[in-house]
This record gives sequence, structure tokens and C-alpha cells, in this order.
Amino acid sequence: MLYLRYIYPALVLATFFLAGWEGYVLLTDASALILPAPSDVANGLWVERREILRHALATIGVAGVGFSLSILFAFAVSVTLHFVLWLRRGMMPLLVASQTVPIVALAPLMVLWFGFGLLPKVLLVILVTFFPMVVSLMAGYASQPRAFRDQLVSMGASRWAVFRRATLPSARVQFFSGLRISATYAIVATIFAEYAGSRQGLGIYILTAKNNFRADLVLAAVVISATLTLTLLAAILIVERATGRRFRRATHA
Amino acid sequence: MLEVENLTIRVGREVLVKSLSLTLPHNAITCLIGPSGCGKSSVVKWLSGVLAPELDVTGTAQLGGRPITLPCPDISYQPQQDTLFPWLTTTENASLGLEIRGTRPHVARDRVRAMFPAFGLEGHEDSFPDQLSGGMRQRAAFLRTIVQDTPVLLLDEPFSALDAVTRLRMQNWLVARLEAQPRTVLMVTHDLYEATQLTDRILVMAGGPGRITADIPIPTPRAARTEAALAEIRSMLRTMLLEETP
Repeated sequence: MLYLRYIYPALVLATFFLAGWEGYVLLTDASALILPAPSDVANGLWVERREILRHALATIGVAGVGFSLSILFAFAVSVTLHFVLWLRRGMMPLLVASQTVPIVALAPLMVLWFGFGLLPKVLLVILVTFFPMVVSLMAGYASQPRAFRDQLVSMGASRWAVFRRATLPSARVQFFSGLRISATYAIVATIFAEYAGSRQGLGIYILTAKNNFRADLVLAAVVISATLTLTLLAAILIVERATGRRFRRATHA
Repeated sequence: MLEVENLTIRVGREVLVKSLSLTLPHNAITCLIGPSGCGKSSVVKWLSGVLAPELDVTGTAQLGGRPITLPCPDISYQPQQDTLFPWLTTTENASLGLEIRGTRPHVARDRVRAMFPAFGLEGHEDSFPDQLSGGMRQRAAFLRTIVQDTPVLLLDEPFSALDAVTRLRMQNWLVARLEAQPRTVLMVTHDLYEATQLTDRILVMAGGPGRITADIPIPTPRAARTEAALAEIRSMLRTMLLEETP
């Protein structure tokens, strides 16, 4: 019930928006080829449900593999950068610069280099989702209170023990913030990678629907994409809450 | 006995502490008192091995006549803040030092749990720091320091974050604990009352650069101390510190 209270305003706004959209299409008699009504989108979604599900599952597979590898990779890189100062100084500007590369230009090149299989799409998801997590983890490591480190060092703790006992727990909040930002990119990046070249997935489904002037199916796929992202965010929230009871009280001393 | 010889600490060209030497007698409480910024905390941080690495330090420390490298396994350190980790229970916090020093976690936790009643923490084994009062947090921090069983304790203004009543209770409590389990203690404080009531000897530090300007013994045993004698020492200290403070 508490959650309902939080999402209630959003539900009301969304209902008003959809009703306004439906009413506009009805009143202006807009062509379904250009602007299908929400009811047309819902109808298209229902009629094409098996096909959309098949493509959505392919997208989930790519996003799942890419995002999981991205989390592992981001964690490994952040730990390495934390311990090797010269590498951190060298890599951080390069990582920031890497974010200026437009994915629009990169996606077709990935397909050109690695073909139509899983690899180029997974690489693209990693490229897009990896950076926010690394930056968040690094900021989290830096947020560790100096007094915690001093306390452990005075006890004779090794650098690894300080990291495990104080630095890593201190970075938990920032890690989950980065994870949420990355999660919002994961499905979109997958769809874009599929858009650039793929045999199945929501990206190629959207491209085919667009080429067939089926705006209703394009929007149906968009609805599924948004649902997938929201589901991923909800899953992260559940994991965060389930694993972090003791960390919710963790305001620094 | 802990001896420090010719300790000099520099930050760039600025000399924080210059050629400081001191001796901490075995199982006695020595107090380091002086104006803010005179380098008291830097001395204690150096001895505990946590001085910022960018500082330029020369000097040696010996424990029982043997040179030691810092941080030393025979020295425990308690900073001004209790530094209890908010995500650990009181038991986990208190056993942290033992675990870092190599005791198996379940053995360390059993050991600290057994000491909870003596530290007035009974019933709070699984509480988190934000569920404890200021005094309890400080006692948990003392438990973490004392359970490490090191012969030397370094206490950097351990009561400064407490309110007046809690501080008084904690001071009496610490004296009782150290009488039961004597240790070689170096305690930094700003509080003249604390310096004269708790310690066996007072080292007065002056700043610019930090050096020791007076070594004042307090009458022992503790029972032999009269309020008049302590008040006289406090008055003398007040005069010395006022002269030192610009």
C-alpha cells in the first residue's frame, strides 16, 4: 500500500496523458500510420504478442549477458584503478573521453567487425553501461571516511583488508546509484545494437515494423522496452533492499 | 616502556614537530597536553602508524628497548571519534581489531561478548552503533581497543565528543578499567581536569614547532592525591598553556 501511495500520482498523470492522446486521435481523425491511438498500440501488442515476446526474449538475453558482464568488468576495473594510482590517473581521463564517442557511429562498426552474432551487441551494452558503474564505484571508494582507514591501518590491516572492511562497504550506496543509471541504458543499448544489425530482438522488430509503416507495432515494442527497463530497475531495488538491511543505517561516523 | 627519540615531522618547509623525545613508563598513564595545533595528535598518529604519507618524518621509536616499525602490533590506537562502522553490530565492531590481528572471527566475537558486561554493553551485542548512546558507543570503541590486548594504548582525546556528564562517567570508568588491567597509556587531551585526575604524568607541549616544554609528575598512588595538590598543578598548567597560546 505504501508503494501504491508513491506511484499513485504517476499513474494518474499517465492515465490523463493516454486519455488525452486517445481523445486527440479520435477528434482529429489522425492517420494510424502516423499517430496510432493508445488503443491501437494495445491492440497491436495483443495481436502480435507471440512475435513480440520472441523478440523481447532475445533482447532480454543480450541485455542480461551484457549487463552482467558489465557489472563484473566495472567492479574488476574499479578495484584495479583503486589500487594502482598511476593507472587510475591514466585511465580516468580516457574513460571520460570514451563517453564522447557516439554510439550511433559505433554500433554499425561493431557489426562490421564482429558480425551479426551475440558478441557485437554484448560489447555495445558493456560499453554503454560500464562507465556509470565505474565512476560511481570510484566515487564511492573515495567517500570512505579517513578515520575508518586510519582505525584499520593502526590495527595492522593490509590494503586489501582496508578495502574489504571499510572502502567497499562505504561505496555501496554509490554502487547502486551507478547500477540504476546503467540499468536504464542496458535495454536501450541492446535495442540500438539490434537496430544496427541483428536477426532477432526488439531492435530489429522495431526496424521491420517501421519499414512496414506499422507505427502501432513500433510503439508496442517501445512499451515492452520500457517495461523491461522498469522491471530491471525493480529487480535492482529488490536486491538492494534484500541485501542491505544493515547498510540502510549506514551514515558515516 | 615506550621511547620516542628525535621525532621531527615536516609538511613541506613547515616543521610541525621538532626533535621531540619522550618516554612512556611501563603501565603508567601519560598525558600529552598543549594548545591546538601544537602537534599532539601528529605525535600520536605517527606512533599509531596512520600519519598522512605526504608528511616528512624522521625519528625512532623503541618498545622495551627494541626498535619498532609503525604501525606496531603492540600498540593500539583510539582516535577522537569512536569510528564504529555503522554497518557492523557492536560485537562485530568490538572484535574488528582482534580479527585484523589474525584471530578467527567466531573466536574473536566470543571473546568480546564475554567482556560486554564489564564494559556496560550487555544486551547490546547485536545493536548497531546508531542504537547506542554516546557513552555506550565510546565504551564499545574502548572495548575494541582494550580487547586487542596490546601493552600500549594511544588515546587521542577519547572523551572530547561526549557531553559533560557522560565524560565524567567515562573518565571514572576508564580509570577503574586501567587499574584492573594496567597498560602503558599515552592520552592526548585539552582538558586540565582530565589531565590531572586520570593520569600519572603530564607532558606539556608547545607549538611552532611542536616540542615538550614540561614534564609534570602527578602524586602516586592515586589515593594519595589531594584536591589541593591537583588544583595547584591545574593552576600551574593553566599559566603555562596561556603563555603558550598567542
